[in-house]
Amino acid sequence: MISISDIEKSYGNAGNKNQVLKRISLQITDGDFVVILGASGSGKSTFLNVISGLERPDSGSVIYGTTDITKLSDGALTQFRKDNIGFIFQQYYLLPNMTVEKNVRMGADLAGNREYREMITAVGLEDKTGKYPGELSGGEQQRVSVARALAKKPKTLFLDEPTGALDEQTGRQVLDYICRLHKEYGFTIVMVTHNQNIAEMANTIIKMNSGKIAAVYTNEKQKTAYEIGW
Amino acid sequence: MVVGIKDALKLIGISIIACCAVFVCTLFLDYNIDIAAMKNEITTAGGITMYNAIVSTGKVVAAVSGGCLAITSVIMLLFYVKNYIDTHGRELGILKALGYSNFKIAKHFWVFGSSVFVGCALGYGLAFLYLPSFYELQNAEHLFPEIKVQFHLSVAFLLVGVPAISFAALAVIYACFRLKTPVLDLLKEKCAYKAAVSEKETKDMPFLKELTRSTVRSRKSFVFFIAFSAFCFSAMVQMSMSMTDLSSKEMAVMILTIGLILAFMTLFLSLSSVVKGNTKTIAMMRVFGYKHSDCSKAVLGGYRPFSYIGFAIGTIYQYALLKIMVTIVFADVGNVPEYSFDFTACAITLGLFIPTYEIAMYGYSRRIKKLPLKSVMLE
Ligand SMILES: Nc1ncnc2c1ncn2[C@@H]1O[C@H](COP(=O)(O)OP(=O)(O)OP(=O)(O)O)[C@@H](O)[C@H]1O
Ligand SMILES: [Mg+2]
Repeated sequence: MISISDIEKSYGNAGNKNQVLKRISLQITDGDFVVILGASGSGKSTFLNVISGLERPDSGSVIYGTTDITKLSDGALTQFRKDNIGFIFQQYYLLPNMTVEKNVRMGADLAGNREYREMITAVGLEDKTGKYPGELSGGEQQRVSVARALAKKPKTLFLDEPTGALDEQTGRQVLDYICRLHKEYGFTIVMVTHNQNIAEMANTIIKMNSGKIAAVYTNEKQKTAYEIGW
Repeated sequence: MVVGIKDALKLIGISIIACCAVFVCTLFLDYNIDIAAMKNEITTAGGITMYNAIVSTGKVVAAVSGGCLAITSVIMLLFYVKNYIDTHGRELGILKALGYSNFKIAKHFWVFGSSVFVGCALGYGLAFLYLPSFYELQNAEHLFPEIKVQFHLSVAFLLVGVPAISFAALAVIYACFRLKTPVLDLLKEKCAYKAAVSEKETKDMPFLKELTRSTVRSRKSFVFFIAFSAFCFSAMVQMSMSMTDLSSKEMAVMILTIGLILAFMTLFLSLSSVVKGNTKTIAMMRVFGYKHSDCSKAVLGGYRPFSYIGFAIGTIYQYALLKIMVTIVFADVGNVPEYSFDFTACAITLGLFIPTYEIAMYGYSRRIKKLPLKSVMLE
């Protein structure tokens, strides 16, 4: 369970302050599939970064089980991310001078996971292990980053617009891999997206509007990546 | 403008090296020319042997320091041009895609040559200011008539004009050559992944080890610069210690200063470039939860062996150089002390080198710790 309470975050200095998150509170149950929707600039990425421990809020708490990560030191926070969190970003951020295999090992070694090749197979890249990111298509690169994030066996996976740079077909494919792995391993998913349709795959849908949560819906019947519109 | 003065500013390393080289060469060349003019006035036997010794020393010092530093600046310049093209692949690729010819883009790289001009002009100016004291020093025993400092246009042209023009030309030609890469590879900044390491060798290597390896391998020029920095430190510090016996204190101080400037500057420039070139990797590792000490070790640690190799080569180099100078140049001048390998100097230098190097590494690992995650992600 992730309990988020009264998160505030501003950028800029006193004279020119831009409050991006305005006292947000939220509960995320373990194993849930949460999608955060909202207009550009509404603070989705900032919210994701705060609850995943990449950024510190100005006030408020983010409690995983019994650990309040906003109270952790930098070192302890790094250790926390290592043990609990996986990330997938719109821009993939693969290491350019490492092969697919080594990129996945970057995640796997952290968890002492020696079966990382299974993860490469799970995203259908077993014949590309020796390739470099520059030699792959966008969709393939994003699948590498999915394998990299999941090879470290995270308890919670954070995704910021994972399909933002992909076309419909590749987007669906990547989402399908993520969904299937979610069913298999049961980690929690928190995904930020622009695309309303993708929300139909989720369990819980959160709408953000200028730094606040405008609405929370629960989805009774989750659709698959191939059933949603685009 | 493709390449601006701002980019050329980053070549301050080359300027400093050029400055040192021109400084040393100006001193000895000017002196040799001025002293040659009054060769006929030197009559005493002692004066003539001293004259011969000074002329050969001048030639050796100018050739060795000038040559070494020139080669270093050439390598540095090529490295900067390559690095610039690798890291600005997108901008340059778009220009090429729009139809600019390679030469049209490359010709802007002449700006990089200006760093050499600045360094050379500065070195020449400093040397000219120092010449009067230098002449007095060389003639401390008053074996020659008083020599006046004169301005030699030929020396100025050779040491400032020629390097500036040839380095500008070199930058343009090399840029032209590097820009032959196909447009798409430039746009994808594809050069970055060319560090291909044979697959079999690294099949089961853990990620951190592999990262150390690939960091070192993907930018071989840094290996050279970091080794060169240790080389300068080792060679120049040891040489300056022996110099006090073999020559004058002033010579020793001059060599020590030049050595330390070169050593620190190359070390700092290359370590900052290493850190800068790996910011994205480091940020991503931190996001995943790698400890900051693991990141620094993986990114910086690979260079340590090379710096010790550089130190060893520097030791051998200074020994060989001094041995040659003593046996050949001073062969027919009396009362030059016997030169043999100075173990104390070597031990002291190593004793200074290890903490200096480790402190520098520590400083850069602090810098890695302070890298802001978010700014990298937002890029
Ligand atoms: N580091 C920063 N410094 C200053 N302002 C920032 C910073 N990061 C974000 N902001 C501001 O915070 C607001 C919310 O940004 P955020 O990235 O969270 O939006 P978003 O909902 O993810 O938008 P998008 O859908 O376009 O990604 C924006 O107005 C942005 O300008
Ligand atoms: Mg965003």
